[in-house]
Amino acid sequence: MFALALRSLRHRIGGFAASFLAMFLGATILMAFASMLDTAGGEGVDSTSKETLTTMGAVVGFWGLLLVVFAVSSTLTLSVRRRSAEIALLRNIGATPAQVRRLIVGETAVLAVVAAAVAIAPAMAAGRLLLELLGSTDQVASDVSYAFGPIALGMGMTITFAAATLAALLTARRAARMSATDALTAAAQDDGRISRKRVAVGVVFLLLAANLAAVTATVMKGEGSDAMQTAGQTSIWAGIGFAVLAPALIRTVAALVAGPLERRGPAGYLTAQNLRRHTGRLAAVIMPVVLFTAIGTGTLVMQAVENDAMAASGLVKTNEQKNIETLNFVVIGMIVAFAAIMLVNTLVAATASRRREFAQTRLAGATPRQILDVVLLEGVVLTVTGVVFGTLASLFTILPYSYARTGDVLPGTGAGIHLGIVAVAAVLTVATGYAAARQAMRTPAITAVA
Amino acid sequence: MDHTTSTPTTGTGEALRLEGVGKVYGTDENRVVALDDVSLSLPSGTFTAVMGPSGSGKSTLLHCAAGLDQPTTGRVHVAGALMSGTDETALTKFRRERIGFVFQQFNLLPMLTVLQNATLPQRLAGRKPDEAHAAAVLARVGLGDRLGHLPSELSGGQQQRVAIARALVAEPNIVFGDEPTGALDTRSARDVLTLLAESVRAYGQTVVMVTHDPVAASYADSVLFLADGRIVGELVAPTAESVAERMAHLGDMVARRRAATAV
Repeated sequence: MFALALRSLRHRIGGFAASFLAMFLGATILMAFASMLDTAGGEGVDSTSKETLTTMGAVVGFWGLLLVVFAVSSTLTLSVRRRSAEIALLRNIGATPAQVRRLIVGETAVLAVVAAAVAIAPAMAAGRLLLELLGSTDQVASDVSYAFGPIALGMGMTITFAAATLAALLTARRAARMSATDALTAAAQDDGRISRKRVAVGVVFLLLAANLAAVTATVMKGEGSDAMQTAGQTSIWAGIGFAVLAPALIRTVAALVAGPLERRGPAGYLTAQNLRRHTGRLAAVIMPVVLFTAIGTGTLVMQAVENDAMAASGLVKTNEQKNIETLNFVVIGMIVAFAAIMLVNTLVAATASRRREFAQTRLAGATPRQILDVVLLEGVVLTVTGVVFGTLASLFTILPYSYARTGDVLPGTGAGIHLGIVAVAAVLTVATGYAAARQAMRTPAITAVA
Repeated sequence: MDHTTSTPTTGTGEALRLEGVGKVYGTDENRVVALDDVSLSLPSGTFTAVMGPSGSGKSTLLHCAAGLDQPTTGRVHVAGALMSGTDETALTKFRRERIGFVFQQFNLLPMLTVLQNATLPQRLAGRKPDEAHAAAVLARVGLGDRLGHLPSELSGGQQQRVAIARALVAEPNIVFGDEPTGALDTRSARDVLTLLAESVRAYGQTVVMVTHDPVAASYADSVLFLADGRIVGELVAPTAESVAERMAHLGDMVARRRAATAV
């Protein structure tokens, strides 16, 4: 099966591009931050610099693992779904579920090793930049020299490999269990029903977020910027919770808007049917929108509240507060950028896999314009859904923090930040979908269905 | 109405006319002539099969005639209307007003039910779908009790009957079939061919079907034989035996000619 995995990879480089990109970016971020740990271990690094560097490295290591699992599993789900016929064929000619699992995991593992290896050079460059940034804000002494060593390599390789393999195991379990006929039916009837186990996981994340929000509002009240320790991560947990529940969210949205949409011309009609029956695919797209909006809005508005509070009290920021601010801006900035790239990545992969569907619709009489209208309309529904739940998740951070720091539940700032994030999410979703659909329709319809 | 012969019935009486249609693929050094100056005229209310050895250009002929591909030279008229316009949108509008399709791989949309699939072309044309009419046509093809099913819940033969219903619901000037029985078992194939023949005999529909199966071709009123991009013969009132015999000759002829040019 491993030999088959290698052949399959060689044969279909394009189909793996999305997963590869996710792993490559994940590995770059991981190694860039992990190299701060190497740098901290250098000779003659003073204790303040050491502390700053260690915090940077450790925090991002954990979030990086989580994000790579998420990103890789969403792209893998799409590529495995696209190959459902091939997997059914393998099962039919006698491959056991375990063999199919080994094939998918084997492909992913090879991809992860290559992605991590390719990521080394860009990670070194990014790490150097990060150190310069920390030096320029005096959080790290300017004489500390950059090091990229065993910790960066070890953490980067191990985490990327572990996260990708874990994601592949999750995806492959589902694909391998299906019988040949089930695989085909599932591809057509993907109405977003999710297992009880998945609902439970999503709810646990949301409860965790709710718990942290309560702690921020009560225990951390009056503790000043220390409240960030609990508030900062809350929107991430809530975002993950909603992302895990994404198929159920789309189902709910479909129940609400499909009816009215259906009566709005051919494009509205097709969008409504897609919402009802291609729920899983659409869910894969809203996950990064939710995470992007939740983490971006939550963290940036929290920092804005903090800055206002500091300015109001007339205090000067301590080194630790500066560290946290840098963490918020750089780390979260990277995570948000990562989520944005994943959004584009997922959307491109999802749209490319609809080439056949677009062609079939065109053969039934749809003009290219009508197909693009469907894609645009879907993009709008996806953006609104993702942004609404992402914003909801960000409130888990913002409201308790604002209350703990200022005594007011509603923050006096942040509307502009929120609008900016929403605008970026909307432009990314709609523009990417549109461009990818145009690309998918370059091939004549009759060739694309063959 | 029972049209057992190819008597013209509606409009101009001519469902399809090709004038000097040619199709060349590739660049100068690598030219492949798929269709070489094909002219033909099919009266409406007829059932025509197009046959030929592989590589004879029969699929290209169908695609050019149906507006799925643009011929390099020549003109195509459907029910008297010249197929013009070089962009995809114009061709799509032309097709959805005049042409129905039945493909080997059905090409039903997986997320639409049987009834939704059958009315989709009307919706795309911006018309209010006539669901009662569509349901009646679906009942005619034997799927009256499957209106709410998804294609994945149907057998191949049933899916192809949905595709035929979809083609007929819009009442096009002509229906093109591209190996419509190619993916079906013998019994489902017979059902599908009977339906196509019935739409011609009982409802005056015009059907053109590409096939490689002599039995399928025997359901047609006449068979056109294609070799190396040219029409090389016609057989009226075909039987499976006569078609098979003709194809065997054609195969030998093409093999001889290709061997001769190769030397």
